[in-house]
Amino acid sequence: MSARYGMVIDLDRCTGCGSCMMACAAESNVPALPQASPRTGITPMLVRKVSNGKEGNRRREAFIPIMCMQCEHDTPCVKVCPQQAVEVDKATGIVMQMPQRCLGCRYCMTACPYHARYFNWWDPAWPAGMEKSLNPGVAVRMRGVVEKCNLCHGRLHAAKEKAAADGKREIDPADYVPACVEACPTGAIHFGNFADANDPAAKEARSPEAFRLLARLGTEPKVYYKSKERWVRELAESKSANSSEVQHG
Amino acid sequence: MRVATCKLGAWDVTSEGRGMKFSRRDLLVWGAGAAAGLMVTPVPWKVLDDVSIWSQNWSWIPQPGRGPVEVKSSFCTLCPQGCGLRVRMAAGWPVGVAGLKTHPLSQGAMCPLAFGAHQLNWHPQRLKVVRHKADQSTWQAAQAEFANACKEGPVMVIDGYPGRAASSVLESFAQKHGGQYRVVLGAEARSLAPYEAWSGAPVSALGYDVGHANTILSFGAPLLDGWGMPGQFTRLWAERAAGLSDPQLRMIQAESSLSRTAARAWQWVQIREGSEFALASGLARALMEQNLVPAHGPVPFMSIAEAAGRCGISADAITELARVIVAHRPTLVIARDENPAVAALNVVLGNVGVPGGIVRKSKEDRRIHTADRDISNTRALLIDASVPWDFVPRTDAEVFRFAAWDGGSSNADWLLPAPGFLESETDVPSAPASAIESYGIAIKLVKATSDVRSAAEFVANLEPSLVSAEKIIRQRCQDLWQKRAGVVHGQEITPVAKFASAQKLEEELRRGSVWVGEGLPQGGFHCELKEWPADVAAPGAGDWTSEWSVPVLPALASKLHVESNLRERPRRRNA
Repeated sequence: MSARYGMVIDLDRCTGCGSCMMACAAESNVPALPQASPRTGITPMLVRKVSNGKEGNRRREAFIPIMCMQCEHDTPCVKVCPQQAVEVDKATGIVMQMPQRCLGCRYCMTACPYHARYFNWWDPAWPAGMEKSLNPGVAVRMRGVVEKCNLCHGRLHAAKEKAAADGKREIDPADYVPACVEACPTGAIHFGNFADANDPAAKEARSPEAFRLLARLGTEPKVYYKSKERWVRELAESKSANSSEVQHG
Repeated sequence: MRVATCKLGAWDVTSEGRGMKFSRRDLLVWGAGAAAGLMVTPVPWKVLDDVSIWSQNWSWIPQPGRGPVEVKSSFCTLCPQGCGLRVRMAAGWPVGVAGLKTHPLSQGAMCPLAFGAHQLNWHPQRLKVVRHKADQSTWQAAQAEFANACKEGPVMVIDGYPGRAASSVLESFAQKHGGQYRVVLGAEARSLAPYEAWSGAPVSALGYDVGHANTILSFGAPLLDGWGMPGQFTRLWAERAAGLSDPQLRMIQAESSLSRTAARAWQWVQIREGSEFALASGLARALMEQNLVPAHGPVPFMSIAEAAGRCGISADAITELARVIVAHRPTLVIARDENPAVAALNVVLGNVGVPGGIVRKSKEDRRIHTADRDISNTRALLIDASVPWDFVPRTDAEVFRFAAWDGGSSNADWLLPAPGFLESETDVPSAPASAIESYGIAIKLVKATSDVRSAAEFVANLEPSLVSAEKIIRQRCQDLWQKRAGVVHGQEITPVAKFASAQKLEEELRRGSVWVGEGLPQGGFHCELKEWPADVAAPGAGDWTSEWSVPVLPALASKLHVESNLRERPRRRNA
């Protein structure tokens, strides 16, 4: 049975602490290079601050974690890749990036409406000895290829291996939890299989407070957001939803 | 010997005496066949793929280590909160850190910086050798110099993580040499200091019972951004308050700027910077004048109108806030740092010694003395690695400072390399300001890559009669077992009474389980406030790394403040 993995992020619970960003970078063996900047650094999970644009006591702020939205329909990055380095895995619904095929043209970065893709500008490097602390479940990527969130595919592989070792065909959902979900101190990120209508995350995705960023594009992202605050929900259709601090009047 | 001859349009090939004519038509057919074959054979695509893989895996590109993978439970000892850790190890090295969900207090949460803690041991600023002023020295030289200093005059030992077995070793050493033992407390613990002065109960025995409060009024405390044990309050807030217009837990943040906590608070009261004393006084006055609290205790000298003027809000807003904070009780007031007026507001509200207020978590009655920055009449100063790097004493004494990382500008005469992350065994006492008593043991999980020693080991070498930290830990486990109180949270929750021996209890704690006390019956603890506190200059707000006692940040923290705009650049840290 094929799955459709996705997330529902409760923005009312997000405090913008950045634990998800740190956990994601550690899990994915993303280097921290001194020459990197907000334009050139690799942050597959990036938390952005948004506000309602008001001042004083009426000002409200929220934090929106942005990562690959795992678009399911007319996936923009898949359509433009000349190398077939991006594809939607039919078994999981995860938009997969194959660095071995990527030639670094960055068409996918341009096509991604969420700016959720990053380019490896430099060879990965760590201070002497620190390579011992790298996650053995994830290969280090090279300079010249594009990166993105793949919902911790290495963890999915590990869960499959464990299921196979136990003689099972299906993984135990508790064995496959992406690093950002695990790290969130407020439990704001809910991960699940949307192909299963009874999955708690799938149920949350159907709640009236759930929304998707730029849903009008029709790419059917599998990352949902949730908020009781109207101004936050209205941001979903904002044309400037990728600026570092978005204001909404 | 025959040779091949080539003509225009035809190619005569001879082989072993037999002639074969390869015509122009044959060439075209061969070419077309080859082109068609290329379309169906996987070979060129495979070669292209392989070339891509080869060209992306040069020998100089670091690769993750290989080896058996195992998961260990432990505690983060980089600050005194002691969050539970799940450490993934590969080939004996930590390759990932996550929160330990079975820890009853941190509940699987950690501060963002802890997720990169496993890389800290290889930080470029790791202190690997003994340094005397600007030169490299040896442990023998440092030990000899410290031994001489101890003979010549009084010594002072400063600890940043009191309550550990190592702290007892340091304190015993100071006492044996007629010296002093002093501690440097974090902001949460400092905020409890006024209650110590008014009740006699030591700060280490007190805590904020946030779990039973229905309203929390915070005077700038970063409740959702690193205050206390990160998981303890954030989980509570997420379940009882987040996104609800009428939450079970009302979090009111009085602060000058829209911090992360203020942004997510039920109500943000924007006051002028440094006007916390005025707001606390105005609120106490309003509570008394409106008869919202029983009339007892001293009345603040400041009127509501005066307080309003200093806070930059209206007098009506203060009166209304006073009504709001008593509408949904118990109400707990929390200061960012030591602020007697804010503490006095808790006393006025009757929030001392009651659930949801300031509670006494243990019978500990020994007060510890905090260290001043100005230190005189001391021959030598020994600073433990747990003391925040920002604590730089002004003294003429010879300073022996232990540190795992060199943050620079320490003014220490001797810099002594201490164990880094998970490189030594230590016990983990109750978190400061937590209302729940707890105890755990963080075992040594990582081998040190250089000759490092802790301050406790250093002084134990000089004074062999001192009881070692290991024996003290064993004794503490024995005490816990003999009291037969509390439960141990591991894979299962087990009452202490069910452990067959103290040794079994110790073994369980060494596996990363945590002992949690049952709590004390409240009521016997109260504060006597004779007069309303005077205004004191409250310390300025630190940045988001101010409670991180390590002088450097994990390299990956640059994702938060360099490679994104999520957080501001730390003021004093070496990222």
